[in-house]
Amino acid sequence: MSNGLFDKTTNALATSLGMRQLRHNVTSSNIANAETPGYQAKKMDFEGALQRALDLDGANGLSTSSPEHFAVGGVAINKARPDIYDDPEGAVNNDGNTVDIEKEMSALSENAVLYKAALQLINKKMAALKYAATEGR
Amino acid sequence: MADFLTGMRVSSSGMAAQRMRMNTIASNSANINTTQTPEGGAYRRKDVVFEAMPDAKNFGEIITSSDPAGSFQRVQVTDVISDQKAPMLKYEPDHPDANADGMVAYPNINLMEEMTNMIQASRSYEANVTALQASKDMALSALEIGR
Repeated sequence: MSNGLFDKTTNALATSLGMRQLRHNVTSSNIANAETPGYQAKKMDFEGALQRALDLDGANGLSTSSPEHFAVGGVAINKARPDIYDDPEGAVNNDGNTVDIEKEMSALSENAVLYKAALQLINKKMAALKYAATEGR
Repeated sequence: MADFLTGMRVSSSGMAAQRMRMNTIASNSANINTTQTPEGGAYRRKDVVFEAMPDAKNFGEIITSSDPAGSFQRVQVTDVISDQKAPMLKYEPDHPDANADGMVAYPNINLMEEMTNMIQASRSYEANVTALQASKDMALSALEIGR
């Protein structure tokens, strides 16, 4: 996993960027349909999937001591799948709509901030690589 | 991976739908006293029907989409309906549209209702603008990786 220039953290950050983008689309869709009769608000979880893929405590996969071993259990970080489902907590409106617009707007800005945070971390990683590549000049 | 264009398309569909709704509200308040229409009789209050549809245009897009479950839904105005409420009758015997009893049929439009709908439509429009702005910000800052 940690072979090459880019390590596990960079992979995880890149995946989390993709997931945040997906979540942004889900939230946008909820906001656009805030007044569509019968629309069910969607929710997306990826933190769990990403955590399982990262496997920080090593509990999810068998460790391999040789490159010829097959990896058992655990998923590759870039194969982590998000979970999109109808929000079960949404209060149903008169018209059967379950979107809570305030909740969606705050989720939207929270997601955008965390997206930018992940971006900054990636940029720091890149800056460190650049620094090494230019021999610290 | 879905891209930001999906989110932008979804948000802009929301803006278009709310603008359409705003148009019907404007039409309703402008015609609050209209007694003659091409279809005959007093003006009838118009209202839009919203419908959610998956953001994929054709079969190819559906099978290659990262989102086969259709989680990203655009909103579309599928119909503009006319209110079937009975018109309000007012006694105005001198009016050219008065009937034999001197009653004139006016549209059954409640201006308060139109105003609250208008505020709601403009707030929803703003919410979609905010979402679109956030899409744009995120996409642009992603272009700055490694700069």
